[in-house]
Amino acid sequence: MPISEPTAWGQLPDGRPLHRWTLRNAAGARVDITDLGGTLLSWQAPDRQGSVGDVLLGHADAAAYLAATAYMGGIVGRWANRIRGGRFQLDGIGHKVDRNDGDNHLHGGHEGFHHRRWDVERDGEALLLRLASPEGDGGFPGDVRVQLRVALGDDGTLALAYEATADAPTPLNLTAHPYFNLNDRRDDIRDHVIRIDADEFLATDATAIPTGRQHVSGTAFDFREPAPIGSRLYWPDPQLRVAGGFDHCYVPRGAVGAAPRVVAVVAEPSSGRRLTVETDRPGLQFYSGQKLAGQLDRQGHPYGAFAGFALEAQAFPDVVNTDDAELGILRPGEVYRQLTRYRLDTL
Amino acid sequence: MAPHRIALLFNANKVYDRQVIAGIGQYLNSTRVEWDLFLEEDFRSRMRDIHLFRGDGVIADFDDPETEAALRELSIPVVAVGGSYHDATRYPAAVPYIATDNAKLVRLAYDHLIEQGLARFALYSIPELPGSRWAQEREHAFRGIVAAEKVEGLVYQGSPTTAGGWGEAVEHLVAWLAGLPKPIGLIAVTDARARQLLQACVIGGIAVPEQVAIVGIDNDPMAQLLNRIPLTSVIQGAEEMGRTAAHVLHQMLRGMDCASTRIVVPPVGINVQVSSKFQPLRSPHVMRASHYIRQYGCLGIKTEQVADYVGVSRTVLEEHFKRELKQTVHQAILKHKLDTACELILGGEATLADIAVRCGFTSLPYLYAVFRREYDCTPRQYLERHRATTAS
Repeated sequence: MPISEPTAWGQLPDGRPLHRWTLRNAAGARVDITDLGGTLLSWQAPDRQGSVGDVLLGHADAAAYLAATAYMGGIVGRWANRIRGGRFQLDGIGHKVDRNDGDNHLHGGHEGFHHRRWDVERDGEALLLRLASPEGDGGFPGDVRVQLRVALGDDGTLALAYEATADAPTPLNLTAHPYFNLNDRRDDIRDHVIRIDADEFLATDATAIPTGRQHVSGTAFDFREPAPIGSRLYWPDPQLRVAGGFDHCYVPRGAVGAAPRVVAVVAEPSSGRRLTVETDRPGLQFYSGQKLAGQLDRQGHPYGAFAGFALEAQAFPDVVNTDDAELGILRPGEVYRQLTRYRLDTL
Repeated sequence: MAPHRIALLFNANKVYDRQVIAGIGQYLNSTRVEWDLFLEEDFRSRMRDIHLFRGDGVIADFDDPETEAALRELSIPVVAVGGSYHDATRYPAAVPYIATDNAKLVRLAYDHLIEQGLARFALYSIPELPGSRWAQEREHAFRGIVAAEKVEGLVYQGSPTTAGGWGEAVEHLVAWLAGLPKPIGLIAVTDARARQLLQACVIGGIAVPEQVAIVGIDNDPMAQLLNRIPLTSVIQGAEEMGRTAAHVLHQMLRGMDCASTRIVVPPVGINVQVSSKFQPLRSPHVMRASHYIRQYGCLGIKTEQVADYVGVSRTVLEEHFKRELKQTVHQAILKHKLDTACELILGGEATLADIAVRCGFTSLPYLYAVFRREYDCTPRQYLERHRATTAS
């Protein structure tokens, strides 16, 4: 299906115009994307009855996106998730990056990729988004160039293919941050039923920095069999109390860097919609949306806690401060590649 | 260390209790927890000598008030499993309680019927008994929904199910159904109750789902087996309740105080079948004919028999079919047979020869011929293609 001509969608504070594109598929789904942060503005998808509704949370307009703090729908970089103390060593040199989450670095710092204007062009059935991130961006070394190819398939798959290069070694960890609510008529995701194909997750300290791998067996984090999100929140589990819900990185099964494998499936009983997430990344952050209260919806009304959930494919949080640091580093001559797919169908 | 000895007190003759127990088993298998499980051999619990049980913990079905009373004096950890209550004071005191969310079970069934385009509703419950407080909770939830949404909503408790009173109970049920305004969406508090509705509709000549759309609760395979018309049913989170109960007991055995823990588990899905697929049809002839075809379509019926059942001439019936469904009666019968055959083929439990006969194709070669004509493939290729698309 052809992609629409871009339409005007507000402007940046410096007056540069912003635009919106619409991707459609043969099944009647449509995805709206803007060049502001490569943000997924909405995803209209049919439910069990065939009636179409929006499965993404969103704000009202460009100004609202720029003022908000939930990374709503945006492409996150240079570093998705956290870096402890905003510090890391790379090739023997200490670096300090933006600290915007208490003492920690989060999601690219004060002006992450989700608030930049990306260059967007249509490329056949796909949309091509490009961003140049200069040396020193958020405190990170090296010039980085990112390209993201977005396509909506007739089977309901939204494919996000990332490529990036750098002219100096730098940490790089990209992700998309859409908040889903598969029931467009309810303001809560706690009755959604989730499956996560992971035997382990990363336990965290009070500032959400991983402290080590933990097996999911016998814990509220075991979603290897599908289970409702909401009733798990009441399991007596210290890790749930630390985060006020789920905000943890899982370690999905399967080979990293090979073809994407299914890492999570979320079903919503009432609408019959089902979301399947596939990725080639090592980690999958599951965030149950407990801190969404007060974020503004498209009408400017506040969302409640648990209004949406996020499943973010990524490298492990703070991996640059672990023995596996190299897994989070992009070097000159290498190409960072990620393929993540979100697929929506009905039961 | 010797494994903990745990009693599971359930009447596991119902699918719900079996799923709770399956969930407990999943939890044990996923962890290294070893429990020596005590269950009655016939999976029915008897409370009279539970005070003699020399074990370390109990998970029990508290829908049965006798269970609650019998366990009150027990000094070992007990985890209760049962239905949710809208009035929090009705929960047993000082016992962790894992509940199925009665209000959300009804809500899911109701939302489904609303989405089918229905505007009137009724609930088929069961008479009040100490052991069926969950049914009263479902009634309460139903009354709350229809009051809040200002729609018509009736409740019928019917009669208790006894062998002696069965004939009369069915008569009353048929009369109640006949007297309802139509079309209407019906929610039954269990699949067992929904099965009675389906049967009464057949007896009363009421078309399902055109006049009466039905949703049950439990997704019980047994209830499915006994119906000609596949039943839509809400799937309780019973396995998750079992996993949750096992986790809570596991923590108590480690010394955690969980007395005030209360976890209410929502339904995990709805199995949508024909019984609720209400489509507003204008022609009562087409409605009655479709109902007949759904019941007897695989038994070799012909257009004449359908017309006879509807009570109009063949020509009139054909005209109505052409106008409303854009097909002939014969095509509608064939479509029903093919749909049924495809479902059985994908189900993978019957042989093709068996399927050919069960769907009214009389022989395997004829089934092949019809598949060749309609789908341009053999039944086996149809299965392979379907597998390929679901796998990719």
